[in-house]
Amino acid sequence: MPSTPATADLPAAGHSPMTTTAAPVLEIEDLSVRFATPDGEIPAVNDFSLTIRAGECIGVVGESGAGKSQSFLAVMGLLASNARVAGRARFEGRELLGRPAEELNQVRGSRLSMIFQDPMTSLTPHMRVGEQISESLLRHTSTTPAQARARALALLNRVHVTDAERRLDQYPHELSGGMRQRVMIAVALACDPVMLIADEPTTALDVTIQAQILQLLAELKREQGMAMVLVTHDLGVVAGIADRVAVMYGGRLVELGTVRQVLKMPHHPYTQALLRSMPRVDEPADAPLVTIQGQPPNPRRLPPGCAFHPRCEQAQERCRSERPPLVERDGARFACHFPIEWGAPA
Amino acid sequence: MSDSLLTLRGLSVWFPIGDRLFGRKPMLHAVEGVDLDLRAGEALGIVGESGCGKSTLARAVLQLVRPTHGQVVWMGRRIEELSLGELRPLRRDLQIVFQDPLASLNPRLTIGEIVAEPLRVHRPELDSAGRKREVADILGRVGLSADIINRYPHEFSGGQCQRIGIARAMVLRPKLLICDEPVSALDVSIQAQIVNLLKELKRDFGMTILFVSHNLAVVRRLCERVLVLYLGRTMELAPTDELYERPLHPYTRGLLAAVPIPDPDVQPARLGTSLGGELPSPLSPPSGCVFRTRCPDATAQCEREVPVFKAAEPDHHVACLRWHELRPQNRR
Repeated sequence: MPSTPATADLPAAGHSPMTTTAAPVLEIEDLSVRFATPDGEIPAVNDFSLTIRAGECIGVVGESGAGKSQSFLAVMGLLASNARVAGRARFEGRELLGRPAEELNQVRGSRLSMIFQDPMTSLTPHMRVGEQISESLLRHTSTTPAQARARALALLNRVHVTDAERRLDQYPHELSGGMRQRVMIAVALACDPVMLIADEPTTALDVTIQAQILQLLAELKREQGMAMVLVTHDLGVVAGIADRVAVMYGGRLVELGTVRQVLKMPHHPYTQALLRSMPRVDEPADAPLVTIQGQPPNPRRLPPGCAFHPRCEQAQERCRSERPPLVERDGARFACHFPIEWGAPA
Repeated sequence: MSDSLLTLRGLSVWFPIGDRLFGRKPMLHAVEGVDLDLRAGEALGIVGESGCGKSTLARAVLQLVRPTHGQVVWMGRRIEELSLGELRPLRRDLQIVFQDPLASLNPRLTIGEIVAEPLRVHRPELDSAGRKREVADILGRVGLSADIINRYPHEFSGGQCQRIGIARAMVLRPKLLICDEPVSALDVSIQAQIVNLLKELKRDFGMTILFVSHNLAVVRRLCERVLVLYLGRTMELAPTDELYERPLHPYTRGLLAAVPIPDPDVQPARLGTSLGGELPSPLSPPSGCVFRTRCPDATAQCEREVPVFKAAEPDHHVACLRWHELRPQNRR
């Protein structure tokens, strides 16, 4: 089991710092993201608050349209131009939202890095691998080109790229998908970030390559003490390396807790239903596969009350009219009028 | 085998690569020497990573790509030599569901027209009322309401489009339904719905299913037997629970170990056990056993000798020179 000091600090959401050993790195408060379209505004993220502490890994899970990627693209200032962002996102005490690009660029790619699902579209196709890694070093630090190249080589070795010396002079299209993702991680690590946001970093990869990349991320977290946000639709992916898990649904945070709290004793019926509808490779063929009826809500037409109520088997009248607030219990947070009750924690 | 609906013998599919004008073009061996007996009424999973040939194999069964070598025997009849015209009547019994539900539906046709199209081709005796009846019936069976027939594909979600694709394939009550990654593009909560629907349809109609997927957890819930492919070659074939609990091929073991399990008590320890390396180029596959470059147990012999795909136990086939000495000692 991975365990860091940060895991002992359960209620690390919002602005309720309790006794803690790790300082907050990123504090997101009441974040909202709306997209202006000819058909009106689409709310993608609503009142999203989350604090990420030094050295911890938070898994952010949800289905399409849950708002998980949009939240962190908003933090990075990478949303489309029709996005309207409100709220606060302080990184190492500095507000990021609403800052001009030049100011954000002092932080992005140096102290705070992000990697994406598709390394082919994130890497520049006409730049050699070595140049792409050196680029941020040359921009953010006073490094000579020769030093940057040496550092690029060290980084490629760090992310276990085989034959690193030769790769420096190759182009992205000459590399396999797994190799490209390693290069993108090397680019992200170039300036020793304190935090890495990984948006579905393994979704496009084959399962054995996914395992290698997850192993690499776990290693980087352990050895470099880097805080990490892992945005994914796969609960299995977060189970391996996350300390805490945030579950999003219909643009809102619906559950937050330690990885054990959320995956073993979820309070929100959506989290439980998601776990039950996901077949496990270690369960026999005749194990039941419980389905969630209906489909994830369209952000254009969010149901009133609790957005999950049309699909929830426990839904009652109150769920249809009144949106449940995020409440805290035993350090975990959830937004449900009728949460699943578990006895005393084992 | 007498109960075999479909038999593949030494099936190979090669694709020429490059645009060389002279000399021999390099050949990509997408599928190489596959032997398989598909039993009537079973659901057989074909698993493996990208480039392992699983989709090509499925398409070769349908003759959507023509095999380079080998035989495809459908209900006792060799079909790999038939012309397109001769194949047409057989297509009624061989239907396919694709990965991308929206892209596989014609956006200009209504749902009613899409699902009725196979009936127009294969059951010309039906009049319009008869077609309408069949369409309404199959839509109900896949969990859709019959009043959607005048709507268009773009009005539906991914999961609904996949149900429409399944209705189109099932409207002729085919003997064999080939599913090529049918849940891969869908949200987690929708995947389970489609898996359960396919189980229900199989129970009700008794068709045979060839289920191509990279998702080993989904395959375990749906299929009775599973075939593992690597670089176009068959590695292992066994009844499902047998394969997942007592895999004999080192590749199967590595593949299973790589699938994340959503359980924090189990998954962290699994992270360190993944297979190293990457898929070799299919244009220059390794000598001997094609898996040897990533195999934790490979020896010099594996470099020289091509393992034969053979029965290690009744109903459990494996292509590994060392399966016997490597098999787990704690066998049931």
